[in-house]
Amino acid sequence: MQEDYTYVVLADDDEDDRLFFVEAFEELKIQTRVDIYKDGVALMDALNVPDSVLPNILFLDLNMPKKSGLECLIEIKSNNRFKDIAIAIYSTSASEEDIENTFVQGANIYIKKPSDFKILKKILSDVVTINWQYHTNGLDKDNFLLRL
Amino acid sequence: MMPFKSIYYSERFLKIIFGFSLFMVLVMGGIAYKHIRQLSRSTADVQHNYEVHLELEKLLSALKDAESGKRGFIISRDSTFLEPLLLSSLELDKNMEHLKFLTKDNPEQQKNIAELKAKIVKSLDIFKKTLDLAATDNLNSPEFIAGFREGRQTMNSVRFKIIEMTTHESDVLGTSKEKSSKNISNTPMLLYYVLILSLLILLLTYLQNSKNLKVLKEKNELLETFKKSTTQSEIISKHGNWIWHIEENTFEYSDNLYRLLGEEPQSFEANLANYMDFVHPDDVDKLTEQVNKMMENEDLPFIHYRIIQKNGSIKHFKAYGKLLIDSDGHKKILGTTADITDEIENYRLIEKRNLELERSNKELSSFNYVASHDLQEPLRKIQTFLSRLEEKEQDHLSNNGKVYIERIKSSSTRMRSLIDDLLQFSRTNRSEEALEDSNINILLETAKHDLVEIISDKRARISSDFIPSMKVIPFQIKQLFLNLMSNSLKYSRELTAPVITITYSQTKASDLPKIKYSKHNLYHTITVKDNGIGFDQDYAEKIFILFNRLHNKNEYSGTGIGLSICKKIVENHNGYITAEGDINNGSIFTIYLPLS
Amino acid sequence: MKIFIKFDFTQFCSTILDEKLDELNIKYRMLNFGEIEFLEPVPPDKLKAFDAILDTYGIEKIENQKVILVQKIKDTLIDMVFNTNDAINVKSSVYLSDKLGHSYGYLSNLFSEVTYTSIENFIILQRIEYAKSLITNTGLSLTEIAFRLQYSSVAHLSTQFKNTTGITPTAFQRIIAKRRELKNNKD
Repeated sequence: MQEDYTYVVLADDDEDDRLFFVEAFEELKIQTRVDIYKDGVALMDALNVPDSVLPNILFLDLNMPKKSGLECLIEIKSNNRFKDIAIAIYSTSASEEDIENTFVQGANIYIKKPSDFKILKKILSDVVTINWQYHTNGLDKDNFLLRL
Repeated sequence: MMPFKSIYYSERFLKIIFGFSLFMVLVMGGIAYKHIRQLSRSTADVQHNYEVHLELEKLLSALKDAESGKRGFIISRDSTFLEPLLLSSLELDKNMEHLKFLTKDNPEQQKNIAELKAKIVKSLDIFKKTLDLAATDNLNSPEFIAGFREGRQTMNSVRFKIIEMTTHESDVLGTSKEKSSKNISNTPMLLYYVLILSLLILLLTYLQNSKNLKVLKEKNELLETFKKSTTQSEIISKHGNWIWHIEENTFEYSDNLYRLLGEEPQSFEANLANYMDFVHPDDVDKLTEQVNKMMENEDLPFIHYRIIQKNGSIKHFKAYGKLLIDSDGHKKILGTTADITDEIENYRLIEKRNLELERSNKELSSFNYVASHDLQEPLRKIQTFLSRLEEKEQDHLSNNGKVYIERIKSSSTRMRSLIDDLLQFSRTNRSEEALEDSNINILLETAKHDLVEIISDKRARISSDFIPSMKVIPFQIKQLFLNLMSNSLKYSRELTAPVITITYSQTKASDLPKIKYSKHNLYHTITVKDNGIGFDQDYAEKIFILFNRLHNKNEYSGTGIGLSICKKIVENHNGYITAEGDINNGSIFTIYLPLS
Repeated sequence: MKIFIKFDFTQFCSTILDEKLDELNIKYRMLNFGEIEFLEPVPPDKLKAFDAILDTYGIEKIENQKVILVQKIKDTLIDMVFNTNDAINVKSSVYLSDKLGHSYGYLSNLFSEVTYTSIENFIILQRIEYAKSLITNTGLSLTEIAFRLQYSSVAHLSTQFKNTTGITPTAFQRIIAKRRELKNNKD
């Protein structure tokens, strides 16, 4: 940990979801920096800037225009520079097969967007905590799979 | 095929028997001919012998006549006594000639005859001399007496010679008689044996023949029936048969082949050119090529082509031919041509339906997506904003406002469970790949875990037997337990702690209710029994139907999908689910899954 | 081709620390993992150089006493989960306070304050991580893993696994296997 906060990034085309996401982190006591992108292309452009600060956790909505979450995931996983980013899929819903496929493609976390703000806060806090633990306790990141 | 083979063998057998019999008859004829010839020869011998005897007897009696005539003349001096003497000397010559002729094959007799003749001549000389002496009455002369004595001696020697000759002739006859009689006595016996043998062979042949005839008759009848049924099946299954005799390059078409072409049976000569007239112009080249190949390779693989009947309708044909070499070594191709127009039309129809199905499946899955994503998204936001309102703006709301929020909340919750259940239902599909060996007990535990809150709220007790591992789609079976248990928990009696008992057993297919035929012998049987409100047994079937609820939705919160999902899951696993209800006492759900 | 390696992070870090401290000519004693005692006062410029070196390796100097104690709690717990077979006989609370010489209540509060999670959750997480490594690196069956980790049953392990990770052990196994397959196909 170079910094004392967790840097999270969300790519989601839905305005309301972006709002919930930012508000949830605002209300959480954890020290975080949150960046938001409106679609996959914007996200990848930002990540691909050389020497850019990389997020600790990247939240990806699956269903985005131009570049879907899964495309972003595959792209990120094929670039060694991004190997330390924990990837959380943040989606409305998907079939069991789709969920498993995102894990196989390298996602660490699958989050089904909840319909209760309190639950959202709990989930995001859990994600940050567990990621923190993986980071600080030298746990095998290849085994980092979490579904919430 | 067996009887045909045996007939084939018996035919060879018959040929052998026939040849053998023919040979026997020839042999028999030969033997008989030989024997008859022998018989007739020995008869001729006897005849010959008798003639020789007769001549010798005549000779002797002529001499005796001459002797007695001489004596009579000497005593009476009557010259009439001399007449026989004159006659007999003539007679003698004739006899001698005859004898000579008769015995010309017998040298010994010839010699005897020569000796006899000399003796006779001598005795005749003596006769004459004595007669001359007697005529001159010199009866007492020593010459006469000597002559007389000599005449007697010569006479005796003639007599002896004749006796000797007779004996010799009898001897010859005797030996040949003995020989032939021996042969002749064997002849009837031999003929008899041969006859018996021939009769036996004939009998055998007859038996075999009649047997073969019977089999042949049966086969013939069978063939006749077969032919009729072939004709019938040709008509029913719309196919025709044809034969191409390769060596003669001639064709035979069955009646139905003509019918398939829309013609009267055997209404035109069966040949290639006539047939080609019916073939669709676009397919003529293709078919010609294939027929040429057939003639070259003496084989016809499956081919397709179209024909046009005289009334203009186009039919699709499929043909196939196979080389057959008959027992005489003649080569022919047996072919079948079938009218597959209906099949092709059906196939096209199915293809069309498949396309439609595919399209509607696609529509359905895009509907699924709409339901899962697009419908859920706004709903989720409504709910999230509601939770924000509740949390942050609670103090700014009037009591009415709080009630309204509560109502919106429960409505949106219900809408959520409807969407979730519907999705669950549409996603509950069968897929072979998803089948895995699963520990059912763990799946049950996981399902229980999902219900942990409601279980503790209602103080429910759930007990379960050990269930062996099965090859199932794990998440579906978990869903099954989840739905059944939550059903039991939902429809529990007020003030009574729910008790759910899950038991396991095995049932024979024959003991299964409702199911008459099954390819499986044994079924895993899992029963989920509760002490809830139960239901009227009349509705036992209905409760599995989608959206079918037995209760008012304000009383119980079900969507009417849960049990339909259960049914779908169990059917995905080739199983059956039944329900038994007892109002106010509880219900029992029984799942039968095939034990593989 | 791709190979999978496992490395001992502790040993790796110790080696680096040994090397760098010797380079800077600092007298020290390695107490435990993550704890270094300087045996004589270190001038500030040397200390700064040391910090800079550590930074290039991504090693961070922890200065907060609370954080150090939490790190000790974690080490003790990890050691308990991974290396001892008899520790489960004693309650983890007793084990911890015995080893670290603080009351369990104090340790527990401190731990939650610093890590945002409870000691109990941390233990569970560690056990599940251990189960994961056994699933991916050994051919042990779930029953054997449950036995080794002293779970009362496979069902218990599965439930805790599912609660902690949100997926079942079988699904986990499947995902890891498919990931390896995917990687091998790419190479």
